Amino acid sequence: MVSFSERLTVAPDVLFRLVGDEGVLLNLNTTLYLGLNPVGTRMWHALTSASSIQAAYNALLGEYEVEPAQLRADLEEFIQRLLGQKLIVAGPALDASHEPA
Amino acid sequence: MTGVKDLLETATNGSFSLEAGGSRYRYGVYGMVVSSDTPLDLPSEADGGVARVECVSAPAMAFLAATDRGGYDGDTDSWYRYVVLGDGSTYVRWRTIGEFLVSADGRRVMFRRFDQASLESFQVYLLGQALSFALIRQGFEPLHATAVVVDRHAVAFLGSNAFGKSSLAACFLEAGARLLTDDLLILGESRNRIVAYPGPPRLKLFPKIARRFLGQDALNRVQMNPDTDKLILPIEEHRRQGRPVALDAIYALTPPRDACRVPSVRVESLSPREAFLELLKGTFNRRLTNQPRLQRQFGLMARLTNRVAVKKLSYPRSIDRLAEVREAVRADLVRDACPALNNQPGILD
Repeated sequence: MVSFSERLTVAPDVLFRLVGDEGVLLNLNTTLYLGLNPVGTRMWHALTSASSIQAAYNALLGEYEVEPAQLRADLEEFIQRLLGQKLIVAGPALDASHEPA
Repeated sequence: MTGVKDLLETATNGSFSLEAGGSRYRYGVYGMVVSSDTPLDLPSEADGGVARVECVSAPAMAFLAATDRGGYDGDTDSWYRYVVLGDGSTYVRWRTIGEFLVSADGRRVMFRRFDQASLESFQVYLLGQALSFALIRQGFEPLHATAVVVDRHAVAFLGSNAFGKSSLAACFLEAGARLLTDDLLILGESRNRIVAYPGPPRLKLFPKIARRFLGQDALNRVQMNPDTDKLILPIEEHRRQGRPVALDAIYALTPPRDACRVPSVRVESLSPREAFLELLKGTFNRRLTNQPRLQRQFGLMARLTNRVAVKKLSYPRSIDRLAEVREAVRADLVRDACPALNNQPGILD
């Protein structure tokens, strides 16, 4: 299981497009397409743009009316599925000062 | 005149470009200029095209030379064979129809009609499946769809083989719509709109459908191939659309295996994500999955999803219900009609 202190980035050869308010992904290596509903799309953006998973979690907790434990569980499951499909890669967190404003 | 020796040499070199002047017939189809050394049942080139393909007939030896060199194992009796050769060209063959070699850049198609194939049947494969390899190699992204023109705007029916695209189109033709293309749909962008290009002026239909909707008898009609009852029906000029048309809507047809569970005609809106995936499933010739094509598909389908209404169309597969399906689609088009768009000409001048 990946640690919340780590940072997630989009895997090489993975494309993401927004269609309406939903996301679609393509892994060019596996030729797998994946669709994300609006919540999944927001999670994807938060996870792949934050300095760490913890930072994404904090941002999402402020946006959705959800129990912290439920959000954590949902995020963990989502991340596992993305990792399983080789759509993201985990690495060390960015210094917080590098986080986008 | 190019001789067999020249053909062998050029094919063996992996570049079977034949001398200019061999292709003296010029046609317009799918928005392209198709030149050929053999007459084809296509409209003449009218006003240029967005791309060019040269089709050249060749003897068996030319194909042997190319496939031997490309590592193709021809020892099979299967109906359909397809292989990408070492030089990037594509060899494709249908057992009783003919064989084709499409250059790596998609600009040339070498073809040979087998003795038992009718000219009409051979052209269906040349101008459909074989040409699709050339179009994809040139950067086009064909959809597996049949399109008709209703009130000056194109409507496409998306689906794989045997989904009922052509039957539904025939039903529309009965009510005055015009045929734009059957089976292979090429789209482009013009004046900030998605436009659909005309395909060959023919429909492939089962005799019962042809008789019911087009009033055409099966007598003296040509079968598409020996394994099907489907006929190749030329469409008269007043029933076909010869110019590009703005595309209004795409209806993804329910697979036949699911249609038997559908009691009534249903048009459903799709979320953008669902629409995107339906369009991807409806791409023509999904055997080609190289990364440049996947990237191109991904971008095009996202643009299409954002600009054209894509819906799911489900209905019982019964000839007696097709008029009802047609009316449901027409009603849906009227519901979705955008006044601003309706003031624009759909047919491009």
